[in-house]
This record gives sequence, structure tokens and C-alpha cells, in this order.
Amino acid sequence: MNALILFSHGSLLCGSVEAVEAHAARLRDRREFDFVGVGFLNYSQPSFAETVHEAVALGATRILILPYFLIPGFFVSKSLPEVLTPIQAQFPNVDFQVAEALGFDTRLADALWESALSARTADNDQWSEPLKRATLSCRPSPDCPLYQTPLCPKVPGEKKLHD
Amino acid sequence: MTEALVVMVHGSPRPVANKEMLRVVEELRSRPEATARFPIIEVGYMECNEPDIPTAIDQSILKGAKMVTAVPYFLHTGTHVCDDLPGLLEMARVRHPSVIFKMGDYLGLSPRLTDILEQRAQQKG
Repeated sequence: MNALILFSHGSLLCGSVEAVEAHAARLRDRREFDFVGVGFLNYSQPSFAETVHEAVALGATRILILPYFLIPGFFVSKSLPEVLTPIQAQFPNVDFQVAEALGFDTRLADALWESALSARTADNDQWSEPLKRATLSCRPSPDCPLYQTPLCPKVPGEKKLHD
Repeated sequence: MTEALVVMVHGSPRPVANKEMLRVVEELRSRPEATARFPIIEVGYMECNEPDIPTAIDQSILKGAKMVTAVPYFLHTGTHVCDDLPGLLEMARVRHPSVIFKMGDYLGLSPRLTDILEQRAQQKG
């Protein structure tokens, strides 16, 4: 069984998973892999190790790790091998491969262009939208900057974002 | 009305880390439809590199921009995208009350990236 795991940095802000989860959902719909999951290096859940365990438990014999990073910088070249090496030792019969980071692609210019074009005609206060949407992926994490602020849907309070 | 596009980038202590992003911006600058709409295309960094975002915004206005569309070159809804970058735009609005400011979706929201990710997976397949 072929598995694909998007390897992502993670963030204290619960809502940071929005984009990578959306990519995973679209890749899942394309059915090129029997399993598509997301595993985070820091803060967000599930951890990379947890997602590997899930894929192996479901029968994965080959796991392609796809870095959701702009460049093959520190996290891809140093942190990923650090978390991957003990996992590989744990599952010697699983074939682990690592794909390239996003890097350069003309479609990134397409994405920039399309974002700029739709922003030109959007409402002036569109820049508050990501913060509102971030609360959709909320879990009650005291480390999240929105925790106990009026925006947190799980544990709202009077705290200010910058406290 | 002259329009500017300001690409808002995180920045890195290793400037070489910006190389691919700068290629993407160059790619956009090479497209006539992009420069017709945005004759001014600037890059501004949040940390580590020059120019910083307020400077990039001010430069684009010095060059004649009456409207500035800022797009975060970020993959996630982190605190930078949610809070720091909108804060920088609010401050720019105060410095330049006659200029219109817009902020686009951050790069990671684009389904184009799903296609790139799929290709990166296939290249290893």
C-alpha cells in the first residue's frame, strides 16, 4: 500500500493547519495514493511520527514524504532526517522516500498573480479574514495566541492577542 | 491609477533561502499582463533581509503607486499572516491616507500549490 505524508512545520496558532489540510484533501480526492495524511514537526497535531504510525497500521509498505515547505532549508534538510531516522529503524520493512520541496515553479507566479488580482477588487478589510478563519480549526490549546481571547471558540476570554 | 504589488516575504538569516522566491517574482515581472496591471512590483521582508515591508511599501508609493496590493508569500495561517502583516498594512494606511491598500490571500491557500505538490510526488514516484 502506497502512502503520502505531507510534512509540515506546524504552528502555535491552531488555524495554521487550514492550507496544508486543504492540499491533503485535494490530493486524497485524486486517488493516486491509498493514504494521504499530514504530519507536523512542531506544535500542531498530529505529529509526523503519529501520522507514520497511522499509515503503517493501515498497511502502508511505501511512504512518500512530501515536504510542505517553500525551500529545502533547515527543517527539510536537518529536522526531517532527525525525526525520520528513528522511525525508519522502527519500521525496517517500509520503504520511505522523500520528495522535493516546492522550490521554484511558474505556477507559484500564477498563484501570486491570482491572489493579487482577486484582492484588488475585494473589500478593504479582507486582511482580517485569515484570523477569523483560523478559529475554524481551533482546539483548546493554551499555547495558541488566540486562547482566552474573544476570538477563541473553545476557551473565549478577555485576553488581548498581544498580551 | 498606478498600482503596485508588494510581495511580503518572511526573510531568512541565509539570504540564499530567498533565491527561489526571487525567481518566482522575476517570472511574474516577465509577464506583460502582470506588469500592465502592476507596473511596480516590490519585495518586502518581515525579518532578516532588506528592504523590510514598510520600506518596500513606501518605495512603491514614491514610484507613484496610488493603490498597493500586498500578497503574503507564506504557506500557513500563522501569526505573521493573521496579525503581523495586517498590522504593517494598517500602519502603512496611517502613513499614506490617500493610498488604497489591499491584502491578498497568502500563497498556501492557492490550489495551484496542490498541483505542484502532486508533481513533486510524481517526480519521486
